Amino acid sequence: MLEIDNLVAGYGGVPVLREINAKIAAGEIVGLLGANNAGKTTLINSLSGMVKPISGRILFLGEDISKLTPQARVELGIVQVPEGRLVFPEMSIRENLLLGGINAHARKHRPQQMEKVIGLFPRLGERLTQSAGSLSGGEQQMLAIGRGLMAEAKLLMLDEPSLGLSPLFVQYIFEIIDKLHADGLTILLVEQNLNLTLRHARRCYVLERGQVAAEGDAETVKNDPRTRSAYLGL
Amino acid sequence: MREEFYKTLSSPIWWGTLAIAAIMPFVLSSYYVHILTLALVYVALASSWNIVGGMAGQISLAHSLFIGIGSMFSAALLLKLGINMWLGLVISAVISGILGAVIAWIDFRFQLGHLSFVLITLAFAEMGSIVVEGWDFLGGASGLLLPKDTGNFLAFQFGGGHGAFWMMLGLAAICVLVNVAILNSPLGYYLRTIRDNEKAAQAIGVNILRYKITAMVISAMLASVVGTAYVRYLTFADPYLLISPVITIEIVLFATVGGLGRAYGPALGALLLVPLGEILRGKLGSTLPGLHYFIYGIVVISVILVTPRGLLPLFERLWARWRGPAVAGKS
Repeated sequence: MLEIDNLVAGYGGVPVLREINAKIAAGEIVGLLGANNAGKTTLINSLSGMVKPISGRILFLGEDISKLTPQARVELGIVQVPEGRLVFPEMSIRENLLLGGINAHARKHRPQQMEKVIGLFPRLGERLTQSAGSLSGGEQQMLAIGRGLMAEAKLLMLDEPSLGLSPLFVQYIFEIIDKLHADGLTILLVEQNLNLTLRHARRCYVLERGQVAAEGDAETVKNDPRTRSAYLGL
Repeated sequence: MREEFYKTLSSPIWWGTLAIAAIMPFVLSSYYVHILTLALVYVALASSWNIVGGMAGQISLAHSLFIGIGSMFSAALLLKLGINMWLGLVISAVISGILGAVIAWIDFRFQLGHLSFVLITLAFAEMGSIVVEGWDFLGGASGLLLPKDTGNFLAFQFGGGHGAFWMMLGLAAICVLVNVAILNSPLGYYLRTIRDNEKAAQAIGVNILRYKITAMVISAMLASVVGTAYVRYLTFADPYLLISPVITIEIVLFATVGGLGRAYGPALGALLLVPLGEILRGKLGSTLPGLHYFIYGIVVISVILVTPRGLLPLFERLWARWRGPAVAGKS
């Protein structure tokens, strides 16, 4: 579904990512691991179009999308749930969810999609008129994921969904991720939490200083000494 | 989302308020009518600024430029080239809109942060005032004097006094209505997502460039039109008043005190602060020069300290508290 081909990207002409090659097949759940500053967020931002590539290509469903604007990519179904949740605090939960589905493609199905999201997160359904800023961190993460789903995502990219959540909520969020995967959604999971990701993702890429240090199925990556060195900087 | 706008359009409170305001010239002395006219000018200006500064959260200090184009340029077109002021109003509004689009584009293209945006727009405003002061066509530093207002509507004349008041009332009502319309439209929601978090706005697929430009163009054109009407009321096109960044600072102040990003906030701020400033000046200006500024400053600072989000949210809270027990009693 997604193919990253020799991607070089960074800020102000200075590359952060150096010649990244990666693939995500339809229906797969892929983990993207790495320590702080390894380039995880830069990679996910290049996929969503917030960072412009310096060279290389990104193919989505066989089409080169590396020059498209962020909103054009959302329309294609590449949807990012940004790090730190970033809900719109002064708007209600309903408004936040509706805004998730503003792209031309998703707009037509907003009522049905809304039902689905509420079915997935009944807690949100109970407080649709409440302002998003009044929710707890875990509930905001639910809302951020729900908002992403409203866009009719084909590829959902979750940036650090466990960040700052209580263990109970982390477990809950990952159960939801498993459920979405079981329903056939393709998911890219960006995480610092190594063990958690290895438990839920089938395949993983480990980034180190802007390059792929290790890759393969979860078991292989787990036992790869390069994974350990990428994390501990040894 | 649009129902709210139609509700406003058919609201008896809205039209009642307008009707009561419209008979004010028959009730009040011409001095107070003048103060109210000034207040309406600032209601219109603060409301038009609110689209960019309040809803999209972009503190633009370039608005003196749009007011200046609307006033100085349309006055110059009339006096130097004999162009009817209605046409001048349209030409100025179009130029202001284009300039607004350019500024919004620069902001997007170079990804200016909040502070850089403020400084860039201030630089534009300063440039504008330098151009006007140095260019004789626009009256230079001494300004331009418009012909006497004889009430010839086709020449953009409203007969001074009462006529100018009604014209400003209409213009202020339009600016506030545009605010209500935008806030209850998809555009209003998109602007608020941009204000709250540009990154999240991009993540849901908001076309940031398009909506930043749309907001700035609407805001700039409205400000320009109000500028043309204002200069007709003043008769004298004074560059130190109309294209000085100080006028923008006043607008920002009124909008902030009233309630940023709210449809009626900037209007409330201007309606309270303009008369307060004028009356303080009238009563105290001759006894102890400068005292009125002092009192005015204390009032503004107290408001900001007591209710940082403006008077409108404060009034709403008080209203809810007053109504609260009654509502609870019913249920």
